[in-house]
Amino acid sequence: MAEDKSYYVVDPGGRYRCLKCDVPLVKANAVFGYLDNAFPVELPVCPKCGFVFVPEELAMGKVLSVEKVLEDK
Amino acid sequence: MDFTERSTRVYRTKQLYTKEELAARESLCVHEQPAFCAAACPLRLDARELAGHAAAGELTAARAMLERAAPFPGILAAGCEAPCRAACRLNEVPGGQAVDIPAIERAAMRHGTARTGKGLLKFKKKKTAAVFGAELFTLAVAGELAGKSYPTKFYVSEGSAEELIDKCAPFLPADIRAAETGRLGAMDIKLKFGSELTAELVRGSGADIVCVSREVLALLGPAAEPDPVTLYCGEQGVLARTGEEGGVIGAFYDARRAGVSADRLAQGMAPDTMRGEEGPVESRLYTDLSEARPGGSVPEGEGYTPEQAAAEAGRCIQCRCEECVKGCAWLRHYDKFPRIMTREIYNNVGIIMGDHMMNGAINSCALCGQCTVTCPNGYDMAEICLSARRNMVATGKMSLAVHEFALYDQIFSNTEAFLCRAEPGYENCKYVFFPGCQAGAIAPEAVHRAYADLRARLEGGVGILLGCCGLISHWAGREELFDETCAQLRAELDKLGNPTIITACPSCMKTLREAGLGECAGIWDVLLELGLPDCAPRAVGEAVLHDACGARGDAETQAAIRKLVSELGCELSEPEYTGDRSPCCGYGGLAGYAKPEVAADYTKAALEGCEGLQLTYCMGCRDRYARQGAESAHILELIYASPAGDPPGISEKRKNRLTLKQRLLRDIWKEDTHMAPRGYKIEYTPEVKELMEQRMVLESDIETVMQAYREGGEAIYEADTGLRISRYRLGNVTFWVKFTEDAEGYVIHSAYSHRMTVETR
Repeated sequence: MAEDKSYYVVDPGGRYRCLKCDVPLVKANAVFGYLDNAFPVELPVCPKCGFVFVPEELAMGKVLSVEKVLEDK
Repeated sequence: MDFTERSTRVYRTKQLYTKEELAARESLCVHEQPAFCAAACPLRLDARELAGHAAAGELTAARAMLERAAPFPGILAAGCEAPCRAACRLNEVPGGQAVDIPAIERAAMRHGTARTGKGLLKFKKKKTAAVFGAELFTLAVAGELAGKSYPTKFYVSEGSAEELIDKCAPFLPADIRAAETGRLGAMDIKLKFGSELTAELVRGSGADIVCVSREVLALLGPAAEPDPVTLYCGEQGVLARTGEEGGVIGAFYDARRAGVSADRLAQGMAPDTMRGEEGPVESRLYTDLSEARPGGSVPEGEGYTPEQAAAEAGRCIQCRCEECVKGCAWLRHYDKFPRIMTREIYNNVGIIMGDHMMNGAINSCALCGQCTVTCPNGYDMAEICLSARRNMVATGKMSLAVHEFALYDQIFSNTEAFLCRAEPGYENCKYVFFPGCQAGAIAPEAVHRAYADLRARLEGGVGILLGCCGLISHWAGREELFDETCAQLRAELDKLGNPTIITACPSCMKTLREAGLGECAGIWDVLLELGLPDCAPRAVGEAVLHDACGARGDAETQAAIRKLVSELGCELSEPEYTGDRSPCCGYGGLAGYAKPEVAADYTKAALEGCEGLQLTYCMGCRDRYARQGAESAHILELIYASPAGDPPGISEKRKNRLTLKQRLLRDIWKEDTHMAPRGYKIEYTPEVKELMEQRMVLESDIETVMQAYREGGEAIYEADTGLRISRYRLGNVTFWVKFTEDAEGYVIHSAYSHRMTVETR
């Protein structure tokens, strides 16, 4: 189903820990939003407080390029 | 003022110009006008292109042009009266002589290789054609009609093809005559030699299109005269030349026109239907003759060798109007002429849904107005790009990401770093010093000393106004913020008793003047009157002076600067484009925020051929030249012996403005505005400083993230690197910081940001 589609998946693989809740981040559903467009993704998320982590490579790579494309729409 | 992000789902457009307004702008660009030689040629043979081929040694390509232009190119080349010669601009150069195009054509026919093959498979047309009588016009018409695939019969009284060619073109040398005879033979024409040309023969031909020589026309009806445009004689139903003798080129031109009429007649239309533009025209092209060298044609003698043809063709100056492109790095970057740019920008603004491919171009024009000065017709790309930006802001199509940093910088200048005070002891001041936001950001020491000097030597009180003139918002097309800034400045100046504004930046001066904020003078004008301060050097030596684009059209400022720097003992040289023709350094129009690579092109172009000290009177220029590695100085740095050193980063520029304000308040008004210390340390690795500069992350952004982390404790631990990572959403941007923590504070290892929001679902 279209709603279940994820544009991008980042598996935390046990590398990240939420310092506030002291639990490992897990792969969970998240959504990027920009200029009234939404992109469902799977990112490392804290299962307790819901902190969503956007890794540097993702922010400076895919996210930046999609932002630039949308800005010229 | 806060800026809210737009939505890509709002489908709103506003026409940039009416069709008439667009046409009026586009018509100013003459780049696409034909060369003068091509415009003078009835056949519209582009002699400029032909000469270009010949000069490059491509005589086959030149020959192909001739073969396309006329059915008998050998005859044309041998006999053309060459109206292009009179139109050649080289005639206007003292000691110059027009390029001998017919001689080059003859060389092309002699040395170029003939086109082989028949081209596309052509089907014979159903309508038939018949041509009667031997003259150059009928010969050419027969060739034209055969070329248009009409089954063509050619009735002549002559007994052979040689005789026919000799009758039509008696001036041909033997080798050309033989070649053209061969060409006629190869054409798909049924030649009826030895025909007795009578009116009955013509009337009984049964052809749909009939074309006759003047001699045969007289047989048909002594008073018959064809229409001078269509060459159709309705009375007799035939095509023929008018009585005027037009020479060889005229015969070929008439044959082409008769061919057009034949097409109309074959389709049952009136021959004057939709003929388009025919024959010679006036060209509005502009050509710079300043570099054209005098010289005569290479003598043709027995005919040019390919080398002689190349030499003669090489004298062609290839008339083209590229005045704007020569000076503008932006036009060169996009490799398009203003007319094309305008049309594409106009179309871009009209796009309701889809990619706006010209946004980058619209936002990277420096809005400097150089093109308006270099263009012989005053083409104004700045007006077009600025109108487009305003239009995009109004319709919600302008990306906030492009200008947000600069707009917040203006807001920072006019809030946190803003200062407006009267000189102590004065309620109203006669003057106010307005150094401009970049002067405070880049050379705060020079500003501090300049203000002290002005206070010491001017009577009547000199206030200070640290802030932005609003030009940033004007460039960004955000008129609302610009108006707000003007209102703020007006209110502050009012409090000072509307003093004369002494600016240190020509762009500020222009902006404040145009906004009607008061009488403005440059600090250069004041210093010329007061004389240089004692600290000023008197023997600076060699320097290259760069005029600011903000001073374009301001002859007084340009002259005052030259006088002032001569008092500094500067031996000035100037770049190729100087004075009113000066380019932008790349700071203008916020080009660097939209397209850093285009801004870099501007800077490189402005510095081309310039060595040694680059002297400016705009801080934007000073900063960009220094960043490009040039030794550059603003005149205030020289005059007040306070070199600003390496160009500051984005955070340092803010800090400099804030520190200058605090220093002035403390030194002059005895107010201490130092903020309470943070209570913990934030340190940066050298790598992260560079990264932050590149990614436009300010130290203040990092401080906000760290403060939020201290208060909320939200962060994650990255096992691979041992770093902690926290984030905070500041306005429309989420900032992420990677750091280590100890008892004293934090060491920042990396920082990045994104504009997208992210949440769980």
